[in-house]
Amino acid sequence: MRENAEQNQDQELKKSLIDRFKSLSYVWQIIVGTIGVLALIGVVGLLFPASPAGDLARIIFRWSVFTQALRISAPIALAAIGGIFAEKSGVINIGLEGLLIISAFTAVLVTAMIGPAETVAFIPAIWIGFLAGVLAGVILSALFGIVCIEFKADQIIAGLAVWLIALGLAPFASTLYFGGRDTGSLGTTIGNWPIAIMLLSVLAAWVLLNHTTFGSYIRAAGENPKALDTAGVSVSRIRHAGVLLSGFFAGMGGASLSLSIGLFIGTGETMVEGRGFIAIVAYLFGNYNPVGAFGASLLFGGLDAIQIRLQQIGYGIPDTLVQTIPYIVVILVLAFVGRTRIPKAAGKHYETEE
Amino acid sequence: MSGLKKRGKDVLRWLVARSGFERAIISLASLVFAIFVGALIILVSGRFTTCSTAAFYLPFTSIGFCYDPIQIYLLLFNGALGSPFLLGEPGLLDPEWSIFNFRFGFTLKETTLLVFTGLSVAVAFRAGLFNIGTQGQLVVGALTTALTVIFVAPFVPEGTIGGLILVPLGIIAGAVGGGVYGAIPGALKAYADANEVITTIMLNFIAANIAFVLVSGVFRDPSSSVVATERIPEYARLPAVIFPAASDFAEIALIGGLLGIAGLYYLLEYTSIGYDIRTSGVQPEAAEYGGVNAKRTTVLAMTLSGALGGIGGAMWVLMETARWESSVPALGFDGITVSILAGNNPLGVLPAAFLFGVLKGGALEVAFQTDVPSDLVGVLRGLIILFVAMPEFFRMIGSHFVDLSEDEIPAQSGGEDNA
Repeated sequence: MRENAEQNQDQELKKSLIDRFKSLSYVWQIIVGTIGVLALIGVVGLLFPASPAGDLARIIFRWSVFTQALRISAPIALAAIGGIFAEKSGVINIGLEGLLIISAFTAVLVTAMIGPAETVAFIPAIWIGFLAGVLAGVILSALFGIVCIEFKADQIIAGLAVWLIALGLAPFASTLYFGGRDTGSLGTTIGNWPIAIMLLSVLAAWVLLNHTTFGSYIRAAGENPKALDTAGVSVSRIRHAGVLLSGFFAGMGGASLSLSIGLFIGTGETMVEGRGFIAIVAYLFGNYNPVGAFGASLLFGGLDAIQIRLQQIGYGIPDTLVQTIPYIVVILVLAFVGRTRIPKAAGKHYETEE
Repeated sequence: MSGLKKRGKDVLRWLVARSGFERAIISLASLVFAIFVGALIILVSGRFTTCSTAAFYLPFTSIGFCYDPIQIYLLLFNGALGSPFLLGEPGLLDPEWSIFNFRFGFTLKETTLLVFTGLSVAVAFRAGLFNIGTQGQLVVGALTTALTVIFVAPFVPEGTIGGLILVPLGIIAGAVGGGVYGAIPGALKAYADANEVITTIMLNFIAANIAFVLVSGVFRDPSSSVVATERIPEYARLPAVIFPAASDFAEIALIGGLLGIAGLYYLLEYTSIGYDIRTSGVQPEAAEYGGVNAKRTTVLAMTLSGALGGIGGAMWVLMETARWESSVPALGFDGITVSILAGNNPLGVLPAAFLFGVLKGGALEVAFQTDVPSDLVGVLRGLIILFVAMPEFFRMIGSHFVDLSEDEIPAQSGGEDNA
């Protein structure tokens, strides 16, 4: 009898915990959920230090793994921030992957052309390369913007085209200049700078989107373009700006990706390997909030960092199999978590009424 | 003069009214524009290489380029057919040329494979689904084909009889493997509302990785230097009969592709399943209202699409490689271009696949004879999709020459035409 009552009480407690969790806002659900999982691994790891959970706990709560996770998440988070600006303004940019590819390659190409050890006007070549990568991302996104906004192309198909063009162009140009689809090492990197660039971008994007007039224009262009038009602001101009910003941030992401290890890999699906698409899921997961997108990217980066460390410790799991985990997580997130509301006018052309 | 112009206008209006014609024209124009942009890329790439004499000078300047794009394209189209024309020679036709040559066989082999991947993408697109996952479905289909044939081969008699059992079995295995793998994103879309563009792209990576791990860990041929399965027996392969064996082009596979085109056309246009697929692609709400089970149709269309991609993988194994190997060509991505070029119409897939096959066959010849990398086709693949995606672009160009929006104007105000 007494046992039963205790069980009941226990169940009620459990139920109320779930209820309380459900009543949290979406972003907080993710934060609380992540901390919960980490705490669980930590506790189990402390109790059974010799078990795989113990190894996992030692990996997760390690500074070098954390910085590694941040470094890996930088390209994803930057591309995701770019994607937020485009989609919030009403243009779904599924070509983020292509922007990452083209900027990653251009950054290495320009650095190599100048000479990795040279400086131009006291700026090291690698940073000129970085800027060139950003510029390449902006140019390709400008093209995408013109195609989608001026020529009213289907945004999904045009985005796929951007990806496929980059997927062909980068190995093509690499073969011409470097004699192979992979560029070979530059011998120099930008180290941990991508982490700082990412954190600054998250902050800047959050302020720009939520606390400036321009940000409110961007949001209006995606939610209620007619109102924006009535207010005398050109919808297509704001959308162009949103798309260009997506190229700017994704360009920084691509340049960060290749220059943080100092080379570009163009074989197969290139070194970007779906990060642009993971970025799309990251900002959906983060509910179009730059901070939320950063959190989701860190989750993906963290998975990758843990996997790399597991390899180093010598777990006998094939690394190709472990590298598959982020892709599976993306699908699970999309299927079971990602219930975000996309901007009302996203994907639709807007005709100015005259 | 004005009569001619008016008639031209009528013809153009008539063409535009026909959406099928319009599509074909847009596809053709896209191809031309993509080739033109490709020419610019070849020109620019000529600045990156070194050559003693320039092949092409920018008109009115002395800026030289190492490659002449026109020469490159002539080489490409001529090469794809096995060089019937003697470029730059006094005699135009090569008397020793035979249509059953190695290079044209290669072009037709690519065409055959692209027919299947193109159909795969097309059937999903018709249902309103962007199946970017044909590549993954092809990888899985190729693996199930290779493994099935390798495992069943010891239990059937050798020779022709064995081939007659193993080849159909291999194709069915490929269709089942690809179909099941295509059903996954279909079910995720139907029952969990997961965007199929993202899930299929993720499933491409998952397919490539898991197939790689499976083959390298379990089914690897130890004598092979690359990650690959053992080879299927010679009698289980689709043979080249008329074309040189080295071209890997099995004529019967192309016939199978033609049957696939006819079958899918019939299915889409004349059956109730096809009706369900088409209406849920054009107007999902109306289809649901009209009694179409949208969820079931989504899963069905994706399964069918995956099965066609899987058959593409089966053909790749049975015709070309005779085993699964980790370097699977990007036939699934090419299939997107083929389908879009074909206006997602099965009947259009054949010319589109042939055009793309010519590009691929010719690009190899170009890479062989010059320093222009064969990745050029990868660039054209994306450019073609980009141009097809913006019909408005061509309408604007068209209306620059002929005002299409203008309706029939009564005779009294017709003076403008004479101006």
